[in-house]
Amino acid sequence: MGEAILFTLFSLSAVAFALGMVFRRNAVHCALHLVGVLLSLSGMFVLLHAQFIAAIQILVYAGAIMVLFLFVVMLLNVKGETPLLTPGSAKGFGFFFAFIAFVELLWIVVSQGGTEGEPAPVPALPPNFGSPAEIGKILYTTWLFPFEVTSILLMIAVVGAVVLAKRKFA
Amino acid sequence: MGSMGVPTEYYQLVAALLFTIGLIGVLVRRSALIIFMSIELMLNAVNLSFVAFSRQHGQMDGQIFVFFVMAVAAAEVAVGLAILVAIFRNRETASVDEVHLLKG
Repeated sequence: MGEAILFTLFSLSAVAFALGMVFRRNAVHCALHLVGVLLSLSGMFVLLHAQFIAAIQILVYAGAIMVLFLFVVMLLNVKGETPLLTPGSAKGFGFFFAFIAFVELLWIVVSQGGTEGEPAPVPALPPNFGSPAEIGKILYTTWLFPFEVTSILLMIAVVGAVVLAKRKFA
Repeated sequence: MGSMGVPTEYYQLVAALLFTIGLIGVLVRRSALIIFMSIELMLNAVNLSFVAFSRQHGQMDGQIFVFFVMAVAAAEVAVGLAILVAIFRNRETASVDEVHLLKG
């Protein structure tokens, strides 16, 4: 029961913040709405027994990535776009395409990928499911190689960002 | 525990809704910054889907995937915002409608 109430709360706030993010004019407001979405999703991750993911969602996304966004928003000092949305037929096409995509996603969820029948019950999980210790165990055994590749990717990204943002290219 | 929790389908519906809102943002907004934020929203919708399926199947591999998606998103934001800063320095705009050098 408690999970249902919290799920409703988090999902409503996530969708409301997402709509605010897409349709607000001021870029700083948009960034703060995105923080709201990220925090709501973090709450849902806790409901889904993903405590470690919920923690790094707040640390990495709401902490690091959003600070980067806000920093760039204030650095560029972008004026509010005078027409908020893309003018002309592109806007209508965008809404239409998004609607088609939503109907497709909805159909996949409702039909459960083609397998008709009752929704599968939520299985009972071990008590330490999603804890940092358990995540660490499989991260450093099964997923060790992708983990190391990720560290190389992050280093390339840091070098690339510094090179791109430097004033003189030569 | 047991079958008391919210069904996975409801989480998938929220993920589909958030993904669609992000898609609208990418398609109809003009500011490249907002488009970046919308892409982050879409990535997060997929993350929610991953975590919900992870619980459904009782395996933590989905949560590991979310971990990697976050790492890739961090790299993407760092490089993307650097590109944005470089474009703004050269063209004095962050609107995707006005950056059409390749179009001729």
